[in-house]
Amino acid sequence: MLLTQDDWYETSRDLDWTFSYVDRAAAFPTEWTGAEGIPEDAWEAWEEPFRVSYRDYVRVQREKESGVKAVSNALQRAGSYDQLPASHVAASQMHMGLITMVEYMAVTMQSRFCRFAPSPKWRNLGVFGLLDETRHTQLSLRFSHALLKHDTRFDWAQKAYHTNQWAVVAAKNLFDDIMLNADCVEACLASNLTLEHGFSNIQFVALASDAMAAGDVNWSNLLSSIQTDEARHAQQGFPTLEVVMAHDPGRAQRIVDVAFWRASRIFQTLTGPAMDYYTPLDKRKMSYKEFMLEWIVDQHERVLEDYGLKRPWYWDDFLYSLDNGQHAMQLGLWFYRPTLFWNTSAGVSRDERAWLNDKYPQWEENWGVLWDEVIRNINAGHIDRTLPETLPALCSVTQLPLGTAMSRDRLAPVSLVRDGRVHHFDSEISKWCFEQEPERYAGHRTVVDRFIGGEIQPMDLPGALAWMGLTPDVMGDDTDGYRWAREYATESKATESKA
Amino acid sequence: MAQQRATRLRTWSAFGDLGRRPSEYEVLTHGMNHTMGATPLELPPDAHGNRWLREHRDGMALTVPDWDAFRDPDRVTYGSYVAMQDDRETYVEGLLERFDKEQHDERLTAGRLDLLALAVTPARYLVHGQQMLSAYLQQLAPGSYIATCAAFQTADQLRRVQLLAYRTTQLSRAHPDRAFGIAERTTWEHHPDWQPFRQAVEEALVAYDWDLALVAFQLVLKPVADAVLLHGLARRLDTVGAPLDSLITDDLVLDAQRAARWTRALLTFLTDADPGNRAVLQGHLDTWAAHGTAMAAAGARLLGTSDIEATALSTWDELLAAGGLTRPGTPSA
Repeated sequence: MLLTQDDWYETSRDLDWTFSYVDRAAAFPTEWTGAEGIPEDAWEAWEEPFRVSYRDYVRVQREKESGVKAVSNALQRAGSYDQLPASHVAASQMHMGLITMVEYMAVTMQSRFCRFAPSPKWRNLGVFGLLDETRHTQLSLRFSHALLKHDTRFDWAQKAYHTNQWAVVAAKNLFDDIMLNADCVEACLASNLTLEHGFSNIQFVALASDAMAAGDVNWSNLLSSIQTDEARHAQQGFPTLEVVMAHDPGRAQRIVDVAFWRASRIFQTLTGPAMDYYTPLDKRKMSYKEFMLEWIVDQHERVLEDYGLKRPWYWDDFLYSLDNGQHAMQLGLWFYRPTLFWNTSAGVSRDERAWLNDKYPQWEENWGVLWDEVIRNINAGHIDRTLPETLPALCSVTQLPLGTAMSRDRLAPVSLVRDGRVHHFDSEISKWCFEQEPERYAGHRTVVDRFIGGEIQPMDLPGALAWMGLTPDVMGDDTDGYRWAREYATESKATESKA
Repeated sequence: MAQQRATRLRTWSAFGDLGRRPSEYEVLTHGMNHTMGATPLELPPDAHGNRWLREHRDGMALTVPDWDAFRDPDRVTYGSYVAMQDDRETYVEGLLERFDKEQHDERLTAGRLDLLALAVTPARYLVHGQQMLSAYLQQLAPGSYIATCAAFQTADQLRRVQLLAYRTTQLSRAHPDRAFGIAERTTWEHHPDWQPFRQAVEEALVAYDWDLALVAFQLVLKPVADAVLLHGLARRLDTVGAPLDSLITDDLVLDAQRAARWTRALLTFLTDADPGNRAVLQGHLDTWAAHGTAMAAAGARLLGTSDIEATALSTWDELLAAGGLTRPGTPSA
């Protein structure tokens, strides 16, 4: 008789056997399984949150592929790219450069689950994750490759992670760690549970919505299609969390708290500016903070609490950072624009500024005054004074500049000395992360460490730019050619003439 | 600073001077392993992941100037993979429906059921081993072209596991008096003719150096197991009169043939890349070949037909010959 999936599924995941030719522990070393301290039979409780057959997977995914490709081909023929706002294009270049390779890293992480996960059910489910992430890599590459004829910057979808560009180094440090270095349990809790279930909702849902509003149907369609896969395989995190909570809840809490902060800082760098500054004003739906509060605080955190996890100890500081960190990063990204491979939108015209003040009541006080200085320099013709001459000090955990996690009123240095070396941190939270596992971070050298160590020659900004792989054709500049600052000049002249 | 005018490219700069337009397959696969530098991961040099990659991948004796020069002869992309496999699964679905109408399982004789219980249904453990081993080749592969071949191969193995589970369950329902769905693990763990397979899987699982893992699995375990338990099995099932499983197995042979094609291409690629690579591979083969010959002999016994052993060995020899490799005890190529 013909069967339903439920009829045969149990047999397809009954795959463990008793080893006798080699020690099973050698074939499943805890350094990869992450199952140390968890009894072997505890993994029998690991249950897939969704059941997929190979047969259904290839059918459904084939349909999805055809759909995305048809939309993409039609839009390319229509030449819609040329009509997109420059700031929106910049956001898509930043995203493709920084995220495409992460999709490929996720292929390898899922492959690790296929090989080393402590449950055969998880090892099987990893196969679909492996395929999904291969899809996301290839979709992002195809999308970017098709746009090379418009702009070389899309070359960075393939190239970025082969360079030392500082934002890439920061992202690489995080994703190399939680996807390629971590054992299965940690990779699952940090990547599937925290990053994908928590933050990818922001990255893909919010950006898809903003992209659609900006008229970029092609990118929006791609992001949404990727999200349908992510929503499925991100759920691998929950059964793993359940098993670890039953046997080592302290470890689960620590992994999630560290990953949550590190991920929030990277998203504050990528998604924060894209949502609050790059998306054209009339197309914005929500601020980065509003999205974070809705998706992370209201949804993700509530789910975690159901599993017995507490909110991270640094919750109040995290909320404070939501009012500031992305603004600090935006100012830094714009100021250090020659060190980027995408153009930066300042996003602080009068109208945009009003929006920022509405969404972030402290924005003017904390950040507006700094932009005023930038504006004065632009309008006085001193563009050189709006450009960097040195590199900023970097955090030993997030690899992001010191002073970019909180407001400009909270700049007290945070550091510690270990084995004679001083480590600086962008916040007390990053320092706490470091203290959980000093050996995980201490031996790494930040871009600035390498600069000071003489690895980057000549030891000046051009030398650093060359070391980062930045060539004049991609080096970032203001997306609007500084025209946005003119209204301030006109207004100040009007004020002067009235006086 | 003057606003830079956007410049344009025809394809990834990473291709350099390719001298032709890259295929879609190449555009979607090229140069995606960012961990090939002196410190593989952007982490402390002594981080676990860095130590593992240095010891098990970068420390291997194979010399290849450009791993991204390898190409899958089938040029499989995600899109082509799901389309191709959807067609294959539609075909198998049709087989299942057709034979179900004919009450295929109910009509199987005792001898045929014995063969299915001995040589077919216990294979899901073997194939799960192959799934894990394929994934290991993927995660340590030094280039994304090879890794992508191994990724799709991993998925092929899950396909086979699920089809085996489907057939096992069908057989258990049609023949509740037999131990389908119950006895496979015992057969896999204890039947003497399964032991060479299980031993090879378990030992391959601890062969962590990538070049050794490649030889142990991709050049020994998988080609011999596929030659016996797919190619040989399909013929045997047909001969004894179990047409449904014969046809399903025939379809799985297509996946095995695709795996053999990229493996053969990889062998040629490696030996062309550096003449010294042949000796490295041969050295590993010398220590692993006995597993292959034992599996071929045991597989023939499982299927109850001795000619399968010779056929499997000759298929295996042919694969090895692509890299100028020979089984110990056979005349040099």
